[in-house]
Amino acid sequence: MNNEYKKIAVDGLITSNPTFKLVLGTCPTLALTTMAMNGIGMGLAVTFVLICSNLIISLLRNAIPNQVRIPAFVLIIATFVTIVRLVLDKLLPSLYESLGLYLPLIVVNCIILARAESFASKNTPLKSVCDGLFTGLGFTIALTLMGAVREILGSGSIFGLKLWNFSIAFFASSAGAFFTFAIFIALFSIISEQVEKKRKIAKYNLFDAQKKTEVI
Amino acid sequence: MPQNNTLIYSSSPHIRSKITTKKIMQDVCIALIPATIMGIVLFGLKALLLIFLSCFTAVASEIIFNLINKKTFIQCVKEFDYSSLVSGLLLGLTVGTNYPWYTVIFGSIFSIIVVKMLFGGTGKNLVNPAITGRIFIFISFQSVVGAWVLPNVNSIFTNNISTGATVIESLIKNGNKNLSSLDLLLGSRVPGCIGETCKLAIWAGAIYLAVKKIINITYPLIYIVVEGIFAVALKGFDFSYFLPSILSGGLIFGAFFMATDYTTSPDTKTANIIYFICLGLITAGLREATKMEATSFAILLMNLTVPLFDKFIINKPFGYQKQKKIKGGEKHE
Repeated sequence: MNNEYKKIAVDGLITSNPTFKLVLGTCPTLALTTMAMNGIGMGLAVTFVLICSNLIISLLRNAIPNQVRIPAFVLIIATFVTIVRLVLDKLLPSLYESLGLYLPLIVVNCIILARAESFASKNTPLKSVCDGLFTGLGFTIALTLMGAVREILGSGSIFGLKLWNFSIAFFASSAGAFFTFAIFIALFSIISEQVEKKRKIAKYNLFDAQKKTEVI
Repeated sequence: MPQNNTLIYSSSPHIRSKITTKKIMQDVCIALIPATIMGIVLFGLKALLLIFLSCFTAVASEIIFNLINKKTFIQCVKEFDYSSLVSGLLLGLTVGTNYPWYTVIFGSIFSIIVVKMLFGGTGKNLVNPAITGRIFIFISFQSVVGAWVLPNVNSIFTNNISTGATVIESLIKNGNKNLSSLDLLLGSRVPGCIGETCKLAIWAGAIYLAVKKIINITYPLIYIVVEGIFAVALKGFDFSYFLPSILSGGLIFGAFFMATDYTTSPDTKTANIIYFICLGLITAGLREATKMEATSFAILLMNLTVPLFDKFIINKPFGYQKQKKIKGGEKHE
């Protein structure tokens, strides 16, 4: 039981990280990561919507007819996106301004639809909430990392704090977004490949050791 | 007939030409020497510093990339084929002296590591490294380049002494033709990039390359002439624009040294002619549309279409005949 939740957490954060592994939701990833703060804001907004929509969808999973499931999912997601928009507009107007168009566009974000379709509509509410939380956190971490790199290089600051006067404006442009994204995906796959290799070697060594003991 | 009466076993190819990448690149370096010297003469020691930094960084970043990829230093030196030196030199010649020294280093690193080495090294790059590096600098460091106060001035080609618009800019914008064609040809009193102002030096290098049969000089000439004619056409057939349009900006430099790069130009004759005509049209069109120098952007744009040219315009094999269509399709049993 405990193992299952651990697997959901590792899946959401690393092995099927929505941004670097599944390459979902690239539109806000590319457009909003000019600043690290935007990344955190967008990521947390998506996380909130993801948790809530996963919960509701998984509660209603036996009530929603299969033929109309996508419109039903979109309706549920849109409800929560509206809540997020209204709350942000009231409490954090500056963040609301900088997220702009991409906030209402969370409705059609592939990550949320993908989790609803492939996970929440098949699993229990508690598991779905857990999945929503970790997938959202994976997205948030990815966006924040990209935002931090692009902010440091592109405008010489981090989280709005000025570090130095030097900047490479290329990284603040859209070409730089694609470039940073590609580099991050490459690094992520290199690291995960290495980890996988080590794990396999460890597994085989264990296997061999077991065999030897059996023989003895 | 093998000498020493020894029999040589080898698989094909049996005939090897003595032309190697290394030699070609050395020749390109030699061809760039006049332009470099004229640039240093016209723009002073700052130009020398920029060119040196750009070349040094290009070569160093290639060697470091190879070292990271687990090659030994001796291997790196053996495999060094001057192409990164050419890229560095070209990049150094296409920036102006109003650029701070560190911009060139970043451009050089970008052009070698990202554009060349990450795609597989010499001969595998999609676009010309030097041009991409130049555009990288142009996009990235607009804010620190001197004389860039007004955002709509767009004068990359400004000089330290007089911070006016370049000839090409004033030409396109106000039809200003106060400099004579001779001035433009010699590069004196013309603000611009280090290597591109003295057209005579570029011509000398280009003729050297053509004599050595490294470039086919007809293609760049097609490019230059088409650009001139189209620029004239865009100005309502005012033929006094022809010479200034050809002789200003980075057109001649780009045409001879950048557009003719082997990896980023098509293979066959027909494809090359179409390619260089398109280049001319795009350059003149972009210059007119954006009101700034656009040769490098035009070359970058056309570089990306080279795979299409290579795929769809192929030489007919000797003796090839078009297959006649069989009426009613093939009959199956």
